[in-house]
Amino acid sequence: MKRTVKTLLVSVTAVYCTAVTLPAQDGLDVSVKGFVDTYHAVRTEAPGDWMSSRTRARGELRVEKDGGGIFLSANLVYNALLKDLSGLQLREAYAYWGNPHWDIRAGRQIISWGVADGLRVTDLISPMDYTEFLAQDYDDIRIPVGALRVRYLHGSWSLEAVAVPVAEFFKLPTDPANPWSVGTLPPEVRPDPKLGNMEYGLRFCAFLGGVDFSLMALRSWSKMPELLGDHLGYHRLTVLGGDLSIPFGSFVFRGEIADNIDDRGAHQGNALAGLDWYPGADWNLSVQYNRTFGAGEHSSLATLRISKALLNNALTLSTFAYVDVRDKGVFNRLSADWAATDQLHVLLGYDYFYAKGGMFARYAHNSEIWLKLKYNF
Amino acid sequence: MKRIALLAVLMFAAVASGNAQTGRDIAERVKNRPDGNTRYAEMQLTLVKKNGDKRDRKMVSWAMDEGKDTKKIMFFTYPGDVKGTGFLTWDYDQTGKEDDKWLYLPAMKKTRRISGSSSKTDFFMGTDFTYDDMGGRGVDEDKHKLLREEMRDGHKCWVLESVPVDAREIYSRKLSWIRQDCDVTVYVEFYDKLDKLHRVMSVSELQQVGGYWTVMKMEMKNVQSGHSTQITVTGPKYDIPVDKSLFTVAKLEKGL
Repeated sequence: MKRTVKTLLVSVTAVYCTAVTLPAQDGLDVSVKGFVDTYHAVRTEAPGDWMSSRTRARGELRVEKDGGGIFLSANLVYNALLKDLSGLQLREAYAYWGNPHWDIRAGRQIISWGVADGLRVTDLISPMDYTEFLAQDYDDIRIPVGALRVRYLHGSWSLEAVAVPVAEFFKLPTDPANPWSVGTLPPEVRPDPKLGNMEYGLRFCAFLGGVDFSLMALRSWSKMPELLGDHLGYHRLTVLGGDLSIPFGSFVFRGEIADNIDDRGAHQGNALAGLDWYPGADWNLSVQYNRTFGAGEHSSLATLRISKALLNNALTLSTFAYVDVRDKGVFNRLSADWAATDQLHVLLGYDYFYAKGGMFARYAHNSEIWLKLKYNF
Repeated sequence: MKRIALLAVLMFAAVASGNAQTGRDIAERVKNRPDGNTRYAEMQLTLVKKNGDKRDRKMVSWAMDEGKDTKKIMFFTYPGDVKGTGFLTWDYDQTGKEDDKWLYLPAMKKTRRISGSSSKTDFFMGTDFTYDDMGGRGVDEDKHKLLREEMRDGHKCWVLESVPVDAREIYSRKLSWIRQDCDVTVYVEFYDKLDKLHRVMSVSELQQVGGYWTVMKMEMKNVQSGHSTQITVTGPKYDIPVDKSLFTVAKLEKGL
């Protein structure tokens, strides 16, 4: 094991030192990129304990020839608090091929649908990793799925078909050593890995002058575990929905809607409306409101994002807030991102929780201050 | 005698019409300077702080004309944190018609529709160039006035004053020196709302590539802050075979 880790470290160091896009040889393009980051967060109220302390190296390798290729992405992680999460973690690994009209991608990949920002309406295939709840970068929260994706591309529209043989589900933290733990849960029973339980879907997208829209249909699963008798389980779901983006002046309206139909025929609607404002001078503001209605438990969430770039984009100040409208809770991530050099970013942030009930109540005392150093190569 | 008088009148009329070239005519000449139906270039943008510290951005871009409209796609290749980030723009010539713009962020695996109008006066990726400065500004977004003709670096130039029609623009006026032999703007002074000199753009290397005049090196200096940006173009190509499918969101998401 030690030897494996040493080999990996040598490999990562080699990649880190070379940080290359190798010249094409016989049409073969090889590119390597990635980053090393270290992230440490401490609770701002008693007992002032460490909420997270981890360091990782991310490597991404792409090898391409004649329109086809492979992509590999992996993390080598050292987690000081949660030792079980240390080690090598494969993130994405897929092969692809394409021409101007078709592309095919097969393997472990992140599939991202919809136009919502940090909320899920039609973006249901890749689930969420809640190991540190929402206090991670959004791209770290998405869980890749083993899938086959085929797209037909025709000018400004495309048709996408996705098949996921074995569905992936939300990852909830249960380790008592994890400050984000949701506690001990009943045993989880996942759907049997058989043909009849696979996920599959279709999405039609159009990107036109003045409007983008998409329509989707997905045979899926509820991805968040539910208490079903004495165990946690999942139920089959058919989702029909779509999204829309319309720019007007310095604004862009975004909307998403979905009808989630379970196998008993019960419908739950999920709708989101958002507005992005680009007032200039490197300010960006964005608001979203998301509400479920119909069968089942309802949620009512809003988000607010404000960002401002300063010093010729060397410093970016931003805040992103989730607001639980129904239960009056807030999670706000405030951060300052300073590009010390082309490669090195220093980030300082404060995660604020306020809740007396609802989805943020469990973390009402998890407000934290954090520091991250990230070296990109 | 009558013939001589008529000839004299015609000659005077010809000279008068040559001199009567308006500021707008010159701005249009610059905008419509031949640059091929398709274009490719690699660019390095070097941001230089007042104390001399430098940051680099590198990107590749393709463009294709469709009538008077232009479609562009560009990808950042350096530094690592923005590598793979792509912009797709459909620029419309028609005044008042908003451009269509999309941004692809590889870390989010998502394409976002962004505003087609507001970003025009924003500075491009922290440089001292606005999106408009990078070539997207329409002729009739300013009122142009030909001030004079004068020599600059050994070349005869028109000096044009341009005042934005929209008072919300970041400059109150700009003075442009345009080389008469090639219709290329080689020097520009931008004045702020208080009519103080704000930024100065200067072209230091101009070449003919494939029969088209090409700015190979230029600098924009913010004289108020001391910050500057140098742009170096390498490997420009014109009239290359480019498939229309290059200028689509699907290609933006696929990347280089």
